[in-house]
Amino acid sequence: MTISGRVAGQADGRRNSDKVLFRSKSLNKSFGGVHAVRDISLNIPHGGVFAIIGPNGAGKSTLLNLMSGLYQPDSGTMSLDGVDLVGLKAHRRVRLGLARTFQKIRLFKHLPVLDNVIAGFHIHHDIPAWQYVLQGTAFRRDYARCRDEARKLRSFVGLEERAKARAGSLAYGEQRMLELARALATSPRLLVVDEPAAGLNAAEVEKLLDRITQLRAGGMTVVIVEHNMDLVMKVADRVLVMDYGQYLFEGAPAEAQVDPGVVAAYLGA
Amino acid sequence: MSTVLLQQGINGVVLGSLYVLVALGLTLIYGVLVQINFAHADVVTIGAFAAYFFTFTFGGNYLASIAVALLVGAILGWLVNAAIFAPLRERGSELLPLIATIGVSVLLQNVMLLWFGPIPYAFDSPYSNQVIRLWGGTFITGQNLIIIAVSTLTIALLYAFMKFTFMGKALRAVAQDRETAGLMGINPNHLIMLTFVIASALAGMGGAMLGPILVLTPFAGTTVIVKAFAIVIIGGFGNVEGTIIAGLLVGLIESYTTQFVNPGLIDIVVFTLLLMMLAFRPTGLIAEKREENV
Amino acid sequence: MSSRDHTELANPFDRSSVSRRWWLLGAIVTIGLLPLVFQDSYWRTNLIVCALNVMLAIGLDFILGYAGQLNLGHSAFYGIGAYVSTLVITKLGLPFWVAFLCGIVLAGAAGMALSMFAVRLRGHYLAIASLGFAVIVHQVLVNWISLTQGPLGIYGIKPPPEIALPGLPVISFGNSANMFYLVAGFALLFYVLLDQLVRSPIGETLTAIREDEVSASSLGINCPAWKVFAFGAGSAVAGAAGAFYASSVGTLVPDAFIITESFTILAMVIVGGMGTLIGPVWGAILLTVLPEVLRGFGDLRLVLYGAALTLVVLFMPGGIVQAAQIVRAQFDRLRARLEAG
Repeated sequence: MTISGRVAGQADGRRNSDKVLFRSKSLNKSFGGVHAVRDISLNIPHGGVFAIIGPNGAGKSTLLNLMSGLYQPDSGTMSLDGVDLVGLKAHRRVRLGLARTFQKIRLFKHLPVLDNVIAGFHIHHDIPAWQYVLQGTAFRRDYARCRDEARKLRSFVGLEERAKARAGSLAYGEQRMLELARALATSPRLLVVDEPAAGLNAAEVEKLLDRITQLRAGGMTVVIVEHNMDLVMKVADRVLVMDYGQYLFEGAPAEAQVDPGVVAAYLGA
Repeated sequence: MSTVLLQQGINGVVLGSLYVLVALGLTLIYGVLVQINFAHADVVTIGAFAAYFFTFTFGGNYLASIAVALLVGAILGWLVNAAIFAPLRERGSELLPLIATIGVSVLLQNVMLLWFGPIPYAFDSPYSNQVIRLWGGTFITGQNLIIIAVSTLTIALLYAFMKFTFMGKALRAVAQDRETAGLMGINPNHLIMLTFVIASALAGMGGAMLGPILVLTPFAGTTVIVKAFAIVIIGGFGNVEGTIIAGLLVGLIESYTTQFVNPGLIDIVVFTLLLMMLAFRPTGLIAEKREENV
Repeated sequence: MSSRDHTELANPFDRSSVSRRWWLLGAIVTIGLLPLVFQDSYWRTNLIVCALNVMLAIGLDFILGYAGQLNLGHSAFYGIGAYVSTLVITKLGLPFWVAFLCGIVLAGAAGMALSMFAVRLRGHYLAIASLGFAVIVHQVLVNWISLTQGPLGIYGIKPPPEIALPGLPVISFGNSANMFYLVAGFALLFYVLLDQLVRSPIGETLTAIREDEVSASSLGINCPAWKVFAFGAGSAVAGAAGAFYASSVGTLVPDAFIITESFTILAMVIVGGMGTLIGPVWGAILLTVLPEVLRGFGDLRLVLYGAALTLVVLFMPGGIVQAAQIVRAQFDRLRARLEAG
């Protein structure tokens, strides 16, 4: 099913009856002497926006990197829709439907906008190997399809006007949106967004949140890692609050705001 | 038998200390710039030729020629940095500077070839033939003694400089984190230049002392540079202690391989060791962590 | 880091498929005419060397310019192709084309092995590892005398066997014109193959890996596997060049494959324009032909390579392709001004 279809809210045949999409138990990760993630267990339900928040240094990015496969955990288990993730390399997780963006923007700066999005279709080309050389009908069909899908995604994130530009020449906010489009191109079921609001002005943040809301409406599960509480309150259905690598609170955002432990962590930090 | 072992051990230390001099320059540059200077080898060669001409054409003192080679090396280092690394630094490319230095190296070698010709120069220092008897039936030539003395002194001075002086600490700061060092009032560009000058001075000096031992042709540096790379990797890029240990190790390996196995196999042995090092411990003997921030 | 990032202007070599067919036709015609223009054996040998260098350069560009792997040991695969194919004929008595295939396969396998070995290494480490590999291969060729006859070399290597098709005159490859057609024909074939790959999603994948591996992995790209693939493809082409080298030159010595040879191939790729595939073709042609034309100044070939490499990196990193883009842009500006005024 096409990503634009998913964005438009069509039903996803792959959804299983289990309510939990991502499950982790007792995840631990240390770097040298620093115990960045301590005993984190979480259940991310299907659909909806799940936020992982906490002050700087809380271990959120490490947790995200564990989820996406950039790091392997020292101990603990993780699974996506029942499939065990521990030991699975990052690129394989993408095939299972897990996509992510980066806090420090990692676009292909020298490539045009559209090409960046198309890069995300890597796992979705359905051409036999020999067609890469002989480039017959199947190849051309795939080529047209990819360009089409990419244009739709580009519009979704509001970048139609910047069609001819190289990714590196876009404004910061536009680059973030492009990263989003590129991640969406992989047709994820679980999209993890790392500090999406970092470096964006208020208008850009609104635009971003709007897109995330649309994605949620289409049935995608979105995980946002953020340290800005107010932003998260506007869009999250559930939050996990971390501090010093540890679990502090999990539940509804409104309750998180008044939880004494959470308040202390943010004020004391 | 033990005499032979000991003798080759001594020869290995001599060779090793020279390799350390050359490799230290490479590792210092890498530590500060994260760049490999391929033309480093040719600084060694030019140092050797400078010493040769100073001694034989101008009739200078051999020991003084070492100082001359040091100076020549320093100037070359300044030139290479100013002409190549500094301009390319703005571009922010990781591999282009390396490729540029390959170009410089090929250029220098072949210009020297045109100028000096391919026939090896007989560089006999007045100390080459002095033999000093040591214990256990071994001996050392005057030249080798000078090599050990000068190298050890230089390495010790450099080590002290890096560890105890402000400049040295500033150098290490720049190696760790260039931006922050800049914010603390250290001008990284000046320090990088200083590093280049020191590194190339060491190379020039090494060349002057290597001249009498090696076959002196325009390509003399190449035989050393490939081993110097191996040493830098085995010891760990940017790691001074590791380079010293690795350099001595390679010198000893070369010495023993020449004696007990086929001398033609030296390169194979050293490089296989290098490749194994890269396979199992790419960060070198004494590991240094460089975390990438995602 | 390819030449594409140096200007927003259209690459004059970026051709639609129609104009690509014209260029292909032009290349075939040129190849056909060259041996007729140059009848003496000296220049014909140069033409063959030129075709070999084109093969080497495009193979290296695939590895370096597209997959972003700094391979400083390309000469090793050249040598492996040459020696393996020759030894398969002399020691195993197998026919040329079987030996040719062996040369390609073994060179490709060696490339893949090196890449698998170096897969986790950062750029500079890979560069040194590949250099070390090339030194080892060269030393093995020199020292394994019972197999390779060492520095003395192998002599009297025969060209590929004649092709006798019914109704046509016998094609003998002892004839240097035919040999050139063979080698240039294969060079063109390999170019077209690699070009098709590069214009497909595979090219996009390699570019992604070259630009940012972490980013590429986050899009599902298996970076190590693709790097190994690129290395294997590039080194296989080098192996083919080696097999043709041996059978066209007739003698084989290890020093034809010293590490300096890797640097000259690198120079061709960079001078031509890394990451464009057509650039290295021009680079190979220029750097093969120019030193011959300048013969009067003594053996300046390597000085030329060194100077060209350094100057190009410093002042025109995109090489010939970038220069062509700039010239094209000037022409366009001129034309626009003439039409307006």
